[in-house]
Amino acid sequence: MAPAYKPRSGGARKKRIYHRRKVCRFCADSSLQIDYKDSKNLKYFITERGKIIPRRISGTCAKHQRPLTLAIKRARAIALLPFVGSLD
Amino acid sequence: MRRYETIVILDPDISEDGRAPVFDRISGTISQGNGFLVLRDDWGNRKLAYEIKKKPRGFYTRFDFCGTGTIVDEIERFCRIDDRVMKYLTVLIDEAADVDKIKEEAERVESEKKAAELAKAQTAEETPPSDVPADVPEVKPEAPTQAAEALTTEAPDTESPDTETGKEE
Repeated sequence: MAPAYKPRSGGARKKRIYHRRKVCRFCADSSLQIDYKDSKNLKYFITERGKIIPRRISGTCAKHQRPLTLAIKRARAIALLPFVGSLD
Repeated sequence: MRRYETIVILDPDISEDGRAPVFDRISGTISQGNGFLVLRDDWGNRKLAYEIKKKPRGFYTRFDFCGTGTIVDEIERFCRIDDRVMKYLTVLIDEAADVDKIKEEAERVESEKKAAELAKAQTAEETPPSDVPADVPEVKPEAPTQAAEALTTEAPDTESPDTETGKEE
């Protein structure tokens, strides 16, 4: 009923946070293939410590996050990506 | 038949001759099991993301082949036993691969590669050898377009050899 942007009364004043809508890189660019051999591109989806970046951070859609995770795990198995530590 | 891809990491300290028996053994296993080796792709010595057997580098080779599970079992058994193989990984690419089609494709790629080489040789003759191998040479009416055509036809659509990633380090 009430408009969604009605300011809340009382309590901590919540400032509306504007965050950029994250887009899935693989949806935006269909030529980008998820391949476990392509460690160069997979690198963007792991942290400095080698963890897989969750999709709420990276913005990858669920459909692409699943094969992406698999690809990263395969790349780790064949020493293209680290299990822990950075890729130097 | 299924299409598989096996990546084998060999000891980097082994010479070219020392590697050959391993490759022969694997390709022999594939042909024995009525499989078809589509491509053997050497990535060369690459830095590993973590040390394997205390070694920071490894010689990567990718085998792209069609076959059955028994071939994979045999290859993996061999890789486990052999000391020269540091690590291996087999991935199923295609559940129902059409061998004849893949063979045709491989032949086509092969012939195109030859054609591209021929074209390249021709353009090399036309352009002086002192020319810097830049992407855009100074105004040459015919040669660059020919070369570009040859290059585009050369690129296979499905199996792209990871030359870029190979150079990365």
